[in-house]
Amino acid sequence: MLAELSRQDQIANDLANSSTAGYKADRSAQAGFGDLLLENTRTGTPIGHVGEAVKIDALVTDLSQAPLKQTDEPFDVALQGDGFFEVQTPQGVRYTRNGQLELDANGGLVTTTGYAVLDDTGKSITLQPGTKPTIGADGRIEGGPRLAVVSLTNAAKQGDNLFTGTPGARPAGTEVKQGFLEGSGVDAARAMVDMITSMRAYEASQRVIHAIDETLGKGIAAGGGV
Amino acid sequence: MSQGIYSAAAGMAAFETRLDAVANDLANVNTDGYKRARLGFRDLVYAQQDAKVRAGSGSAAVDAGRDWTQGTIHTDDDPLSLAIQGPGFFKLRRADGSASLTRDGSFHLDANRHLVASTGEQLDPPLTLPAGTSPADVTIAGNGTVTVKGARLGAITLVDVPAPAGLQPIGDSQFAPSAASGAPVAATGATIQQHALEASNVDAADAMTSLIDTQRSYQLASRVISMQDQLMQIADDIRR
Repeated sequence: MLAELSRQDQIANDLANSSTAGYKADRSAQAGFGDLLLENTRTGTPIGHVGEAVKIDALVTDLSQAPLKQTDEPFDVALQGDGFFEVQTPQGVRYTRNGQLELDANGGLVTTTGYAVLDDTGKSITLQPGTKPTIGADGRIEGGPRLAVVSLTNAAKQGDNLFTGTPGARPAGTEVKQGFLEGSGVDAARAMVDMITSMRAYEASQRVIHAIDETLGKGIAAGGGV
Repeated sequence: MSQGIYSAAAGMAAFETRLDAVANDLANVNTDGYKRARLGFRDLVYAQQDAKVRAGSGSAAVDAGRDWTQGTIHTDDDPLSLAIQGPGFFKLRRADGSASLTRDGSFHLDANRHLVASTGEQLDPPLTLPAGTSPADVTIAGNGTVTVKGARLGAITLVDVPAPAGLQPIGDSQFAPSAASGAPVAATGATIQQHALEASNVDAADAMTSLIDTQRSYQLASRVISMQDQLMQIADDIRR
């Protein structure tokens, strides 16, 4: 039951982010706890295995490409293919696929959450205020530097559309698309199906608890009758 | 317990913000000089429950200012109807002396022959029409030079800010410059068109799609809450 509850939490978070640009859905993988080998206490003959319960073994983030949504905003950029944009946060460099950007008062290119976007030399980007530069498929900003796009291993979500992880080389074949945003990776239909399936599994576990309770109850009643 | 119910509630609050923004856009589909809202979402912090499981806590809306795309320019009979082609704003002086910016160029003359915005704010620098002239005698050139019956009266200066996303909307199609937007400077590449107004840049079809999309997301989040409620009911039923 606890494992299903945890899965429900994960689905709830996914559905709450069904409109978050660049959001990646999670998948809960379940695994059993170690099996116990039951044996006859008198003779030592093995009777069989018994599983103890299930637990959430891993929460895997599905990093696959989500459909791009056209916005025609000059500072909306999306990645078509693998990779992440680099942003500078007070905690260090973080990674994001949410390319909804804007200029701050000093002409600095920042995310809507206020973090500076980095170029491929790791520096923040300053543009002439009031300009609407074109951004090429390679990430090159017209008359400026090139947006950093890195591959990421051990990508883990941190909130604020940010990921932590170990950056690698620029992924080949990834295109920067100006005037687009990457949609959320949440498939609402799938999330609903998962949610209902998980609820039924939860319900079934509850029935098992009942059955065990009844069995024990009968045992106690029978014992008391002697 | 039950992080999910709070994640869903956070999501509903975020979708509600967007619903409000879209509703406001739709209400202003015919407001001259109106710019549609640009809204984003972000996911919230993740709490590590144990070594392998972390729980998210929903989403929140992020205000990304306005979509400053040029609206279509339509002609208007009034000689004091002005439209801006390109990035920039008319600068107005409000009653309390502070500056405000607008792209709504439906100006008129007040009782003292000052050129004022539709809600009564004077242009900055102010323009006063000499007695004995009518608005029909006014010619406004693309660069803002104002001439009345061939004599130069003054100029309308267009301004722009370094970061329009930081402008504070103050209603009446006006925006106040803030620390986040930077101080107004002379606009480059913007021209004034007389006998014209800039229409709202809200695309009704786009806004309707967004409205339906948001409503569905809202519905899904509310479904999560009733599901979480059922889960608690099931847990409660263990003891009967």
